[in-house]
Amino acid sequence: MIHSSSTADLADDLALASAPQRRSFWRALLGSPSGLIGLAIVAVLIFAALTAPIIAPFDPLRMAAGPRLQPPSLAHPMGTDDFGRDVFSRIIFGARLTLQIGVIAVGISLTCGLLLGLVAGYSSGWTERVLMRLVDVLFSFTEIVIALACLAIFGVGLTNAMIAIGIASIPFYARVTHSVVLVEKGKPYFEAAVAAGAGHIRLIFMHLLPNVVPTLIVIGTLGVSTAILAAAGLSFLGLGAQPPQPEWGFMLSSSRDLISRAPWMMIFPGLAIAITVLGFNLLGDGIREALDPRQTER
Amino acid sequence: MGKFILQRLLAALVTICIATIAVTILIHLVPGDPVRIMYGSFQTTPEELEAIRVRLGLDQPIWTQYLMYLERLLHGDLGRSIVGDQPVLDVLLARFPATLALTVSSLFIAVVVGMSLGFLAAYKRGTWVDVGSMVLAIVGVSMPHFWLGLLLLFLFALQLQWLPVAGGDWRSLILPAMTLGLANAAVLARLTRSAMIDIFDQDFIRTARAKGLPRSIVLYRHALRSGLVPVVSMLGLQFAYLMGGAIVIENVFAWNGVGRLAIEAVLSRDYPLIQGFILFFATVVAMASVVIDVAYAFLDPRIRYS
Repeated sequence: MIHSSSTADLADDLALASAPQRRSFWRALLGSPSGLIGLAIVAVLIFAALTAPIIAPFDPLRMAAGPRLQPPSLAHPMGTDDFGRDVFSRIIFGARLTLQIGVIAVGISLTCGLLLGLVAGYSSGWTERVLMRLVDVLFSFTEIVIALACLAIFGVGLTNAMIAIGIASIPFYARVTHSVVLVEKGKPYFEAAVAAGAGHIRLIFMHLLPNVVPTLIVIGTLGVSTAILAAAGLSFLGLGAQPPQPEWGFMLSSSRDLISRAPWMMIFPGLAIAITVLGFNLLGDGIREALDPRQTER
Repeated sequence: MGKFILQRLLAALVTICIATIAVTILIHLVPGDPVRIMYGSFQTTPEELEAIRVRLGLDQPIWTQYLMYLERLLHGDLGRSIVGDQPVLDVLLARFPATLALTVSSLFIAVVVGMSLGFLAAYKRGTWVDVGSMVLAIVGVSMPHFWLGLLLLFLFALQLQWLPVAGGDWRSLILPAMTLGLANAAVLARLTRSAMIDIFDQDFIRTARAKGLPRSIVLYRHALRSGLVPVVSMLGLQFAYLMGGAIVIENVFAWNGVGRLAIEAVLSRDYPLIQGFILFFATVVAMASVVIDVAYAFLDPRIRYS
């Protein structure tokens, strides 16, 4: 058995990226325009979220921080809303909620989708067929309808919306994981590990998982942007964030009746969402290019 | 061909069956008493609540409920909505034409704009046209659809006053269809571009050029026709996305379709209506994908026989 474990370890070593590869990953990421811009945008977002109480000029919930519906000025760079709250401060605090949405929703869908995809891909036969058929059906329901069904069950609210979005994207992550597992299962290192007598758990978690991770990092980063868009959409519909939360989608929804009188209430939260989503999209593309240089041609 | 259509129909039927199971389970996953949640805001006594429970069959075991649901379904009965107290199917069918009009017209816009942009980018690969259209596409992908809707509303309805804010006639369809269409054109543009780049590199295009065919024939008859195959195969999924996207956009423009109805149902926790909507949506999307798959198989014989 000593023999077999050493063969399995060899397979492990081949599967994991070595240190120089990791260094060239960062160089590739920072060297590509999309990676660099994406990383910069995401860094600004994280900075805003962490230092919100320090950098925001006003309390985001404080009414009458200035006169109501004031256009952008030096005191209020993004104007004030119909309650006299400072839009700029609300957007900075909104970064916190946005990051939270991204992390929680993607965390749920990534974990469950990964497990489902791994199990389905590893155990061929009936288990795989039934699981993937179910995943396909759920996928065809579209995410928004699954999210609506979840909200009908849990009730509305921002936390529930995050969970609903997380659940709604599970089929997508399961599909991606499944297809990567199928490819990896055919590779020599995996066959070597099987031949060496590695057990199920070892095969799944030590051999397949590390090779699925790079793809999932890309998909997960892109998924943060989808989650942010979806949460903003649900909040816009009144199903997510509730007053007076400074959530960007909800801010857009409350700007609706005032579009002609106070367009800044509609423009800035929308810009904040678009730039954030763009940041995660570019970062995801940058990571993909850095992990797989052949794609860069495209 | 007959076997292919039958296979696709069976797959659609499986989807619809799973949807019926999902909507039956849905009401049992609600924490607390769904009847109390639904009727709690009305003045109801415990006896009345119990009567409603019996009427909805919620006192039965879940598999009996499922069979009852199926039986009613086969008679075209999706239950009665709570808020309007109307048959769910009638309410959905009354609102569906509006959603269909929005979805189909935005699919048309998405296909025309997205494919032209992607084709142009691939043809002018590496030039500013390519870079420009791909920047436009990634901005389009990143923009919340409803924000694009608000911006178009602000510009065309409020500032320029070319189009009505809302209404219900064909002129008020233009803005929501443009919003949904342009937002989805971005995805199609990226897809078309990468499909066309693959084609432009292939031998048969080089041969066609080498034998001196006019450029327009090489482009439109050779390249475009084969480049569109992978893009057309995505249209079924696009239709589903647009139906989903319509849920949000209908609410921006007060467009009276099933999407707006669904949001009202979730907000008022009208479970029969929510169940009906999910089943209805799944059925429409499943049938649409059958139609698109079959049309696609007609165009590309390789699909039929693989």
